[in-house]
Amino acid sequence: MIQDYVVFVGVNIVLAWSVYVILLAGSLSFANGGFMAIGAYVSGVLTVKFGLPLVVAAPIAGIVAGAIGVLVGFPALRTRGIYLMLVTVGVAVSVKAVIESIDYVGGIQGFGGMVGTTQWHVIALVVLVGCGLWLLSKSPLQRILDAVREDELSAASLGINAVYVKVVCFGVGAFLAAVAGSFYAHYLIHVTPDQFGIVLSVFIVLYAVLGGTNNMWGPPIGAAIMTLIPEFVRGLESWRPTAFGVIILGLLLIRPDGLLAFRSVTARTKRALTISTSDVAKSD
Amino acid sequence: MLVEQIVNGVVLGSMYALIAQGYTLVFGVLDKLNFAHGEVFMLGGFICLASIALGASLPIAILVTAIVSGLLGLLVEFVGFRKFRSADAHITAALSSFAIGLVIIDLSQKVWGAEPVALTLPGTLQTATISIAGLKMVVLRLAILAISLLLMLVLYLVVVKTSLGRRIRAVAESPTKAALFGINVTRVNQQVFFIASAMAALAGLALAVRTGYASTDVGFTFGLKALAIMAIGGMGDIRGALIGGLLIGVLEALAFQWGLGQLADVFVWLFMIAILLVRPAGLFGTLVSKEVRA
Repeated sequence: MIQDYVVFVGVNIVLAWSVYVILLAGSLSFANGGFMAIGAYVSGVLTVKFGLPLVVAAPIAGIVAGAIGVLVGFPALRTRGIYLMLVTVGVAVSVKAVIESIDYVGGIQGFGGMVGTTQWHVIALVVLVGCGLWLLSKSPLQRILDAVREDELSAASLGINAVYVKVVCFGVGAFLAAVAGSFYAHYLIHVTPDQFGIVLSVFIVLYAVLGGTNNMWGPPIGAAIMTLIPEFVRGLESWRPTAFGVIILGLLLIRPDGLLAFRSVTARTKRALTISTSDVAKSD
Repeated sequence: MLVEQIVNGVVLGSMYALIAQGYTLVFGVLDKLNFAHGEVFMLGGFICLASIALGASLPIAILVTAIVSGLLGLLVEFVGFRKFRSADAHITAALSSFAIGLVIIDLSQKVWGAEPVALTLPGTLQTATISIAGLKMVVLRLAILAISLLLMLVLYLVVVKTSLGRRIRAVAESPTKAALFGINVTRVNQQVFFIASAMAALAGLALAVRTGYASTDVGFTFGLKALAIMAIGGMGDIRGALIGGLLIGVLEALAFQWGLGQLADVFVWLFMIAILLVRPAGLFGTLVSKEVRA
């Protein structure tokens, strides 16, 4: 079914971008599967129990998840690097467990009745988010994000509030993941907490990282390929997870920076400038 | 009753600590998270199961488990980490080890099926009880506790007293400087992976023997929890992993005692987030140095 492909690829592209937005400020989030679950459930409750239209419910769900994302992003004040990564793993695990224990949304059995997503919703979403990111990449904001990602300390010395930037990025990433989750749930009709486990979060990060995270076109390519590969290895049906794992490993080993690992001209010149200093810093 | 629960918690915690110390060793030396570690732990139970099915006695099975999974650790290092050693390859290494984990889970489900497999030992080893000061306790659990603590003591002594330990600490401090002093960094990485994987597999064996089942799910549930425990204790800190493990084991046992069992899985992560908010480097960690501390 071509519609299935369009919807799943589109949703995964937006999810990959949601990780990309957070990566822009130098953080990594394994919590986006959790934010997606929040989006799916909040919008599902709004449409099924309160009768709101999907296009209204999805942004509301996004804002709820974004607010939670900002709250989660605040540990960025104190933790960083791998510790922040672990905090996000914790969030993903906790969100799933909390949803499982709420009977109002069906607990472990899951929650159903959401309908209404067509492929046009998803295409519109992808175009909208893509345009937003493209405008961002041309705006001064991109330079602020670059500065924070490459060297937080010197960014701070230029008067950039690095923590604020990171927290906002976390919130925006959570928002995008939740909106994608809303459309996903309203296409599947029935969702269970099991679908949004930590594995999903890791896969979302894989979409972005395999595509390449140094420009906005990598994540969609990674997402599209990773969504379609399982369909192509269908012939190997029972060996799917193994084939999938081996393909991921192969891609990582052959192209550790992602499939689209070229840099735009400005980024390359910046790289050339930073190479001399970073080599000194990393020689330890 | 309460005391029994606490003892159970300590036994559980000692298994957590065994896995968490593997995470912490690898993190201390390579500065990377090894997401395949939980699956090596899971496989421990199955390797023991297989060797007993092939007619080995329990001590032989334990030995086989340790060696086979140690070799598996070498494989994980070679495939998942050898190429991603640079400082900015955190994410890539985490994802590649995660992919290895996926393959391990799938292959073991191919061999043993998705359902838990019963692991029964000959004799009354799994059921025998002993009374100490009026408390009835399963001998096996006490044995697991004793062996875990012994293993951790040995690890501590290896890291602190032996020349291998000195080399591990040197690489943890700075791989480049260690290499300049003639230490074979790759060899040290392999040794660390061997030790960490063997310890995790023994923990997996202990879990399988204690519950009477080997299950392919425990890598994600049990193994991932140990990751949080490592962060609670402070990454790269062996003491921290031990104390964090015991702490969480006891708290979980108490949670079950008070009827909050359902939330036990979340609890660890919330505890970790709370600890990291107050002490960003965990209970024993410092952000400045990443040396493996004993």
